[in-house]
Amino acid sequence: MKHKSLSQPRPGPLQYVFLAGLAVLFVYPIWWAISSSLKPPNEIVRAPLSFSPGSATLHNYQAMFHDVPIGTGFLNTVLVVVVKGALTMCFCPLAGYAFAKYRFPGRHLLFGVLMLTLMLPTLVLIIPLLLQMSQLGWVNTYQALILPGSIDAFSIFWMRQTIAAVPDELLDAGRVDGAGEFGIFARIVVPVIRPGIAALGVLTTMNIYNDFVWPVVAVNDESHQTLQVVLSTLAQNVTGNRIGADFGSVWGELLAAGSIAMLPVLLLFILLQRHFINGILAGSVKG
Amino acid sequence: MTPATLTPPRNEEHTAPAPLRTRRRRLFLTPYVFVAPFYVVFAAFGLYPLVFALQLSFTNWKGAGEARFIGLDNYTYLLTSPEFWASLGNSAVMWLLIVPVQIVGGLAAAVLLANARLRLRGMFRVAFIAPFVTPLVAMAQVWIVVFDSDYGLVNHLLRLVGLPGVDWLTSTTWAKPTLALLFLWKTTGFAIIILLAGLQAVPSDVYEAAALDGASRRRQFWSLTLPLVRRSIAFLVVVQTLAVFQMFAEPFVVTQGGPYGSTTTGGLYLYNHITASDLGTGAANSFLLVLLVFALSLLSVRLLRSRDE
Repeated sequence: MKHKSLSQPRPGPLQYVFLAGLAVLFVYPIWWAISSSLKPPNEIVRAPLSFSPGSATLHNYQAMFHDVPIGTGFLNTVLVVVVKGALTMCFCPLAGYAFAKYRFPGRHLLFGVLMLTLMLPTLVLIIPLLLQMSQLGWVNTYQALILPGSIDAFSIFWMRQTIAAVPDELLDAGRVDGAGEFGIFARIVVPVIRPGIAALGVLTTMNIYNDFVWPVVAVNDESHQTLQVVLSTLAQNVTGNRIGADFGSVWGELLAAGSIAMLPVLLLFILLQRHFINGILAGSVKG
Repeated sequence: MTPATLTPPRNEEHTAPAPLRTRRRRLFLTPYVFVAPFYVVFAAFGLYPLVFALQLSFTNWKGAGEARFIGLDNYTYLLTSPEFWASLGNSAVMWLLIVPVQIVGGLAAAVLLANARLRLRGMFRVAFIAPFVTPLVAMAQVWIVVFDSDYGLVNHLLRLVGLPGVDWLTSTTWAKPTLALLFLWKTTGFAIIILLAGLQAVPSDVYEAAALDGASRRRQFWSLTLPLVRRSIAFLVVVQTLAVFQMFAEPFVVTQGGPYGSTTTGGLYLYNHITASDLGTGAANSFLLVLLVFALSLLSVRLLRSRDE
């Protein structure tokens, strides 16, 4: 205790004020968006600060569901998250396992290539990929949304670091018991690194769910748009038509759509905080 | 090998090593099979389009019809185009508005959070990361509403305290800072988490020794804390430099690059070639942007590397 007080003084009130102020700045816009989406449209414009739970209404949501193909967008996003996420979750730990635990010729070269692709900025691939998609006739298809980037270098690198910490004796014990190579991975490695797999799962889900740049380029018909693309189309309609617009109703729909899009990730985050933080931290290892 | 006094080993343990080796030889291919999916996907949707695009950057292809080889014309066109340089200039201003603020503010918050005697730490951490997990497009929509000149929340607040409203998104002076604020709001929690992890990796007895030697808190920060989190800072600067120069969704959704092109970032300018079907130029622009981003990350790694490394 004496040591602790030497190195770490009790935080003063000013420090709490600073942190609390920052926390309010960070959380208030989310709260404001969700609470405003539940207000009657004219109130959003007239009294942006007030919120009385008593007058909460789903009016904006009803109007938004009527005007915006958000259901289609949501289903498309779910499909992409599930299939693309499954590809990542199956093949990235498996490749990470091979790099962590096997010595094979060409290992260093292959791993070097993997690390190089990590440095490739996403944006440089956008136009090349779009060209390729149009060559293949894949513009406006699910495979265009799912396949590019589905097995990513970063997740492999991360899983390799995680699996490297699994003791070799454990794997050898499995071999002695006659397990096949894939069996060792599935029945010994995966259970041991379950927290890492969970963190990979939540981070992958979040990244694919929030992804915007590639979906907005790869898809331009309504039936394949992901949720984020639907939202951006709505936003552009709103900013494009200011003259004579009924701001209350238009913004009400905008905020309702945004709130619906935020809810799944926010819930996931609140329920699985620890995995999120582990996932974010894993990202700093590559530096 | 096994001392006779121990229970005799089971039969498999004697025979296991030999089949293990033969099986290893037989399963020579296993690791290649395990890593193959990544290389297949990368070759198909990374390497191939890159090579194809490099080739296209030397043509005048418009997305349809015949592609004619025009040498370096796309590159010289861009390098002499005021619009191209303006997009890089816009990104550079964004960088200045974002990265220093984020590092200093993030470090301040992380140092406070690292204090073991802080109460409510978990709550603060959740509050700081919440923006990072929310979808950017959804928050960009909120920015449109909150920063509206006529009916937005921020101008409403300004008027309440008797100040005039500001054209946050429709004036060339304020559009960039307002978008920079969205970026800061969204990603500073990430910076705090990274810096906090760096700080917590510093063993506490280092501070105790310094305190015993009579080093002031301020002195401890400058000569102990800062050098020890330099790696985390360098990592953040590289990642955020990449992100700022590729910034796309913020201006795309909120301002569409306006007013008067003042928020057309490097990323958005690149995208505009797609809408203009000017794909050869777009491909050339991709490669120029990547060269720039690489150079900037190398430079920041150099500058932030400590003198003794």
